[in-house]
Formats: sequence, structure tokens, C-alpha cells
Amino acid sequence: MSDEELLKNEKLEKMLSPHPLSFMRYQALCIFLLIWGFLVWWMVNFSDFKQYFENPWIAIFVWGIVLLIFGIIVALITIRWSIFFMYAGIFFGGVGLMLWQSWIASVGVFILVYNVGMAIVGFLLVEWYRRSHKYVISNQRIIFKGGIITKEERTLRYDKISDINAKQGVLGQIFGFGTIIPISQSGFGLGSDNAFAAGGIQLGEKKAKIMGVFGGGKEVQTPRARSYYELHGVYPYKEIKKLVEEFIQGKDVIPYHQKNVEYQKEQTAFQKEQVDIQKQMRDLLKMQSGPKKYVEENNDEEDIPDDK
Amino acid sequence: MDGSIIDIMLFAPLATILGVLLFWFIQLLFIQGQKYLLEKIRKKHEPFCRFTNYLGILFQTICQALGYTVTKRGISDIYVSVNYGKVAPKKQKKGIFEWISNVFLFIGPFFIPAFLLLICLFFILKNGFDTSIPVHLLELKYTFGGQLTILGVNLYNFTASFLNFLANIDLFHPVHLGFLFLLIFLGLGIRPSYLGEKKIDKIDILYELKNIWQLITYKPAYIVSLFLVSYSFFYLSLLLDKGFYATMFSVFGWLSIISIVALFLSYLIILFIFAIDQIEGRKKIIPYITIPISYILARILFIYLQTEMDKSMSLMIMILLTMIMIYLLKKHKGDKFKTKRKIKRLKDKSEGEEQDE
Repeated sequence: MSDEELLKNEKLEKMLSPHPLSFMRYQALCIFLLIWGFLVWWMVNFSDFKQYFENPWIAIFVWGIVLLIFGIIVALITIRWSIFFMYAGIFFGGVGLMLWQSWIASVGVFILVYNVGMAIVGFLLVEWYRRSHKYVISNQRIIFKGGIITKEERTLRYDKISDINAKQGVLGQIFGFGTIIPISQSGFGLGSDNAFAAGGIQLGEKKAKIMGVFGGGKEVQTPRARSYYELHGVYPYKEIKKLVEEFIQGKDVIPYHQKNVEYQKEQTAFQKEQVDIQKQMRDLLKMQSGPKKYVEENNDEEDIPDDK
Repeated sequence: MDGSIIDIMLFAPLATILGVLLFWFIQLLFIQGQKYLLEKIRKKHEPFCRFTNYLGILFQTICQALGYTVTKRGISDIYVSVNYGKVAPKKQKKGIFEWISNVFLFIGPFFIPAFLLLICLFFILKNGFDTSIPVHLLELKYTFGGQLTILGVNLYNFTASFLNFLANIDLFHPVHLGFLFLLIFLGLGIRPSYLGEKKIDKIDILYELKNIWQLITYKPAYIVSLFLVSYSFFYLSLLLDKGFYATMFSVFGWLSIISIVALFLSYLIILFIFAIDQIEGRKKIIPYITIPISYILARILFIYLQTEMDKSMSLMIMILLTMIMIYLLKKHKGDKFKTKRKIKRLKDKSEGEEQDE
């Protein structure tokens, strides 16, 4: 971030990027490709049941079916169908390439090489995606920058942060990184988990059928944001979390206390003023009631011995 | 049947118990050694130590949870982190149930993870689980010496078979590779003692022994009952003339041997890391690359030079080449080529140090 982008009195504290292992959920997809490629290669060429794979289409079928089933399972767990389509693309792409280049006979080696190649491409894409993230922490705000093709930017002032959510997975605990989600007063940084249950009843056996569907929904608010809009997998996690919390406290709590103190000071000064005015009023009233009496009273006051 | 009646009735059942205790004590010593080595590399390899901590705490938590499940206390809360593990029971139970839970907590981590590997080995090893009694011991099998020898023979057979498997392990075989990883993880995580951010001196072998001693002295009646049950098994084995008593304890011995081998492997890994730390700069990565490349090349070589010992030879070549590589990299440090940025950084560093002084 250049100095020109900084605001008046703004000081840059940290410039961060996600930890290389913080996108393990994507890297794991590539690791699966590697392992599965290695396993297929071993099964087709060296295992005790290699005779079953003498027909190359059986190997292709087994390779593809496992790839697609894994894709469906991951897609269902993560609620991202793009993962399934990615695996389907890899499978059909591989089959297409084999048919085009007539590599069907050497399927045992091709699947390994193809899977390793795809995994390497996957790792590079994940790394590219990771490097596109930039988080700037200054003494006034947090700037989230990201995007490979379309550049996105979000700026969040500390006084607009209502609370923060922080999480650290197992890898994060081992390598010291974690994710911090600042939740703004407008609710930015909050997502929702939806659950839906449905059931159906079918009555009648031949013609008369009654169909009923009963459903219920449940929504739970949860801190969630895109990796571009959260401090995703930042290292060192504890230090960054402390820094952000200190800035939030500094912008929120300290001015509040300062306002209180100033108000109290104003009140004290006002009360002092009131007391002075009352004193002056009393003196004036006494003067009006009789100068003689006033002088006598004053003299009496002077005669009183000082106990101190 | 030879042997005096006192020997058979009183001392013979003790033989296997003492044998198992001996192996367990050796296991404890290995664990202490591993902790010492980890402390040495901790400053430079904090994540690695955290990882071993996590594995240790994970195993301990699983054992504790297993203890609560076995005693039907239930689990209300389970939590595992790098520094801390917690299992809360649903129901509070006293007496024998509490004691059994504590046995799982304190002794479980030494045996339960190894038990999982033993199950794996049962499917991988072709032999080694043979518990038949040698012919020359048939007359003496229910004496102290006989029981001890049977235990020794059982352990020897298993160890020989296990080490033979490890020496001929096929790293291209997914099952073998998976087993090796499990063995390494077990070796790194078998340490129930915590290696935290702050050094806690009391968490050592004496601390663990103290815990176990407290467990024994807390309810001595339970230990006595345990001994009585063991003796009953022995007498039953004697009456039926079946040697299942020694076999039963041999299983514990096998578990200790698996743990000791796993710990020894973890020693090698820690020493490897320690050696690599002495290599400067980015050359550190070379030994890590040497391991797979040398193995793959050796395996390819033995496709052309056919031999029955291709797998063990490949392993030997891999280890030797890695060691030679580390030695060469350590020996030839040479003058380092420094870029302008590096020189500036060094200058800044030295200036900073001068200012501090």
C-alpha cells in the first residue's frame, strides 16, 4: 500500500496475506487427486488384483466413479456444486484426452500423470488465489483487498466494528495462524446457516393418490464472510487479534471515557459557577437589608477565633 | 510336570507380569528420551512440537473418552486443542468405575494407540503371532522360568517378524505407506506428557510414575483384585493345560514393542531434523528431496538389476544417500553469495545491535 492511499494521521501497522496452509480445504482437493492417481496406478500395475484391470475401460470406470462420488460427497458437505463439476470436468477432460491421443492402452500410467498434473495446476491456482489477498491494518481502519480478475476492496473503520469473531483450526493451532472476522454494526460479516426438513405422504395404491409435503426451516446467524472480507488465515494470529482488539478498544471505549470525563469537568465548573453566583446574590441581599447590619455581621465574623 | 509347587502356584504367574512391566518401563524411558530431543529442537521447530503435542493430547483424550464410555459414564463435552484436552463425563460415578476411567487416562495412552497398529499388523504381517510353546519347555511351561521364556519367545517371534516387515517395507504399496505414517504418528504422539509453551519441569517420567503410583495406592484393593484375577487366569490355564495366560500378557508385550519401535522411528526423524538444522540457507530442502528421489531411482534400478532384496536395498540406498547428502552439505558451507538486499539487511542488523549496546 502506497503512502498516497493513507489518510491524514493514518499510520500503517501491518500488511498481511493468508498463511500458505490456510486454504487447506482447497489444497485437500488436490491432495485427493494425487493420492487417487497414485492408488489407481498401483492397482492397475502392481496390486494383487491387477488382472481385473486388463481391460482399460474398467480402470477408467473405477477412476471416474470414485472421482465423481468423492466430488458429490464434498459438494454436499460444503454446499458447493462447483467442486463436483470440477471433478466431473477433470474426468471427462481426461477421457477426452485419452480418446483424442489414443492413450487408452497406457491408462495405468496416463491416470497417474494426468492426476499429478491436475493436482499441480490446482495447487498453483490455490496459491494464486491466496496471493491475491491483501489485508492492511492501520491505526484507523482495516482494508481488505483481493480478487484475481476483478479487484475488490473493503474498508472498515474500527469504530464501526461491533464485535469480532476469531477461529483457529487444528492446522492453525499448529502453525500459529487463524481467521478473524470483524462484524460491522450493519451486520457485515454475518452469514446464516439454513436447515430445511421435509416429508411426504402418499395415500392410495392404484389411482387415488394424495400427496402431501410438510416442511420446516431453521436459520441460525453465524459469523461468516468471504476470504476477501475477513482476515483469513493471518499469521501470527494471536498478535494480530490483540492488535485489532486494541484498536477497537482505543476507538470505542477510550473516547467514551474521555467524553464522560469532559462532561464531569463541565458539570463541576458549572456547579462552581452556581455557588459563586449564589454567594454574590447573598452578599447583595445582605447589603440591601442594611449596610450597618452588614458591617456588624462582618465584624462579628472577624472576631471569631480561628480554631485551625 | 516339573517345578516346585511354590514356584508354580506363587511365582510363575508373576513372571509375565514382571516381563510386561519391564517392557513398559523401557517404553517410558524412550518417551523421556524423545521429550529431551524435542526440547532441543523446540526453538526452531515450534509447529513440529505443537503437532506432536496435539497428537499426544488427542490420544490421551480419546483414551479418557473411551474410559468414560466403557464405564457407562457417558461424555457430555469433548475438546482437543494443541495445548489442552478435556473430556467431561455425563454422570459422576465413584468406586471401581472412577478407578477404571483413571486407568484408561493414565495407562491407556501407552497401549491403546499401539493396539490399533497391532490390529493393522495382524492383517499385514504374514507371521509373528505364533504363540505355540517350544517343545523343550513343555515340561517347565508353568514355572517362573518357563513362563518368562515363553513370553520371551513370543516377543522375539513378533519382533523379528515386525522388524523384517519394516526392513522390507514397500513404500510404493499404499497399505505399507499408510502403516508407516501411522507408526510415525504413534511414535510422535505416544508421549502423554505435555510439552507446552512454558516449560513445566514436573511433567516428566517421575510425574507419570507418580500419577500411576497414586492410582495404585488410591484403592489398593482394586490392584489386589487385579492380581487375583491374573492368578485365577493362570490357574485356569494350568487346569485346562492351555497356555493362554502367557499369550494374554504377550499381547501387552507386543504393544510395548510396537511403541518402542515407533518411538525409535521418531528419534530418527528428530535427529534428521536436527542434522538439517545445521545446513545453512535454502540448501536445507535438498535432503528432504533426496529421500523420495533416491528411493524411486533405486526401485527403478532394481527393476533392471533383479534381486529378491530390492525393497530393503532401496531403503538402504535411500538412507545412505540422504546421510551422505547431509554430510556433504554440512561440510561444504563455502562463501555464501549475497544479494544487495541481503547485504543491506545484514548491515541494518549489525547497526541495530550496535545501537542496542
